Amino acid sequence: MKKSIIYIAAILFLSTSVFAGGPWPQPKGVGYFKLSEWWTSFDQHFTDEGLLDPNSTTGIYNTAFYGEYGISNRVTLIANANLFSRNVINNQVSGTNGSIIIPGDSYNGLGDIDLGIKYGLTAPGSKYPVAITATFGLPTGATNEGALGNLATGDGEFNQMIQLDAGTGFKLGGLNAYASAYGGFNHRTNGFSEEIRFGAELGIGLLDSKLWLATKLNVVESLQNGDTAETTTSTSIFANNTEYSSFALEANYYVTKRVGVSANVAGAFTGAIIAAAPSYSVGIFYDMGK
Amino acid sequence: MKQIIHFFILAVFSISLASCVGDDIVNDRVAEELKITNAIDTIGFESTYLFESRYLDNVGQRQEINVEWSSSNEDVISITNDGWAEGVGSGSAIITAEYQGIDDYLIDEIEVVVGANTTEVEVENITKEGTIMASSFYVLEGAFTVQEVDGDLLVEIAEDYKASTALPGLYVYLSNNPNSIGGAHEIAAVSTFNGAHTYTIPNVGIDDYKYLLYFCKPFNVKVGDGAF
Repeated sequence: MKKSIIYIAAILFLSTSVFAGGPWPQPKGVGYFKLSEWWTSFDQHFTDEGLLDPNSTTGIYNTAFYGEYGISNRVTLIANANLFSRNVINNQVSGTNGSIIIPGDSYNGLGDIDLGIKYGLTAPGSKYPVAITATFGLPTGATNEGALGNLATGDGEFNQMIQLDAGTGFKLGGLNAYASAYGGFNHRTNGFSEEIRFGAELGIGLLDSKLWLATKLNVVESLQNGDTAETTTSTSIFANNTEYSSFALEANYYVTKRVGVSANVAGAFTGAIIAAAPSYSVGIFYDMGK
Repeated sequence: MKQIIHFFILAVFSISLASCVGDDIVNDRVAEELKITNAIDTIGFESTYLFESRYLDNVGQRQEINVEWSSSNEDVISITNDGWAEGVGSGSAIITAEYQGIDDYLIDEIEVVVGANTTEVEVENITKEGTIMASSFYVLEGAFTVQEVDGDLLVEIAEDYKASTALPGLYVYLSNNPNSIGGAHEIAAVSTFNGAHTYTIPNVGIDDYKYLLYFCKPFNVKVGDGAF
């Protein structure tokens, strides 16, 4: 069982990709690719009771690649990879004499990689598309790094998630818009509790659909069936049974026909054993579908 | 397209600059303390005795210092700057240790009688009591006792003890500062989260520490403490 609060924070907000995904598979031979920088820094977290407690200021900074590519009109391959991840934890300094009580630390490395495959259950062009996605979380990141073993770029477990997406495109006051929702089950290994995940997304196109604004709600509920500090054989420094409800806002702007920039802010408004601070990301994307 | 790439590089560079290890300030000030650690009731006539003291600074860490020793009556008990005392006359005297600390002027004193033989202060088998209280929103509570047994410190946690199993990396320490593990003695990683259990800490005296401190080691967070 090796998953830190900071790493959970990364998972939480990296999964917020509002401009791709959903129930719409990419057409055959068409892809969407995004390179982004994501970061958060937090000095408090939600306890197991959902209350706020302080912690050492901890930061995580990820350079991530997200890609979708249609190998048929119904089947899309998906990759979400943290190409470079940096974890930082602050020095604990005496306010009385200025000495360092506990030295800070940092670690840089490859993060975890998610690979997925999406299948359109409805015919391409359907008014109400439905798709199913299987995602495999590869534990390519490092765990237990740093002098105290409290830095990580991955969770150290191979998880498998199945997700069902449904949505629709529509006009809203003459503007293009879409809405989608999803539900999923995340089976996790290595002593981690399994999870129910669900959420919804709403987007609207402005400036002749050059600018897309979107909002997304993500909820994760733990089944509480994994290890705890009491049952694990190690004196684990990592948390399990994380839960949260998060809200994200994202803007995507097409600078050219296919190339654009994106910015995102997200944060958990309720949670358990998870960072309590907003995360931010900026990125550039290439959309072959335009 | 170039502008987009420049924008992204600038963003990544700016974020990287902000990702250095910084400082979190811990409010760890405590009252300084000076204590004569080997008190005696009686010093033998024409006998010598070396007094010792312990100084804890304003973060609760032990520091070696030069204490100023004095006797209220040099005709009864004389004492050197090093703390060597000698019974030189009949009667009693107040032996004082003094030190100008960082925040306070510190004094500890004991009364010593000159008699036939040197007699240490009789210390019965003291048991100190305390209550563990959470300083966070994690569950942590329970009574405990501390006593010295054959030169080791025995910490007995009572049946009413409870600790959250949700928090990773919970460790228990002995400390002289309720807010810091600086200079603390790490006892063990917590492996019992409910009910009575015992820790035996070798070569630690009952007056060496004042707090039982629970600390989440990986995230450097105090979870609770108990004074004793």
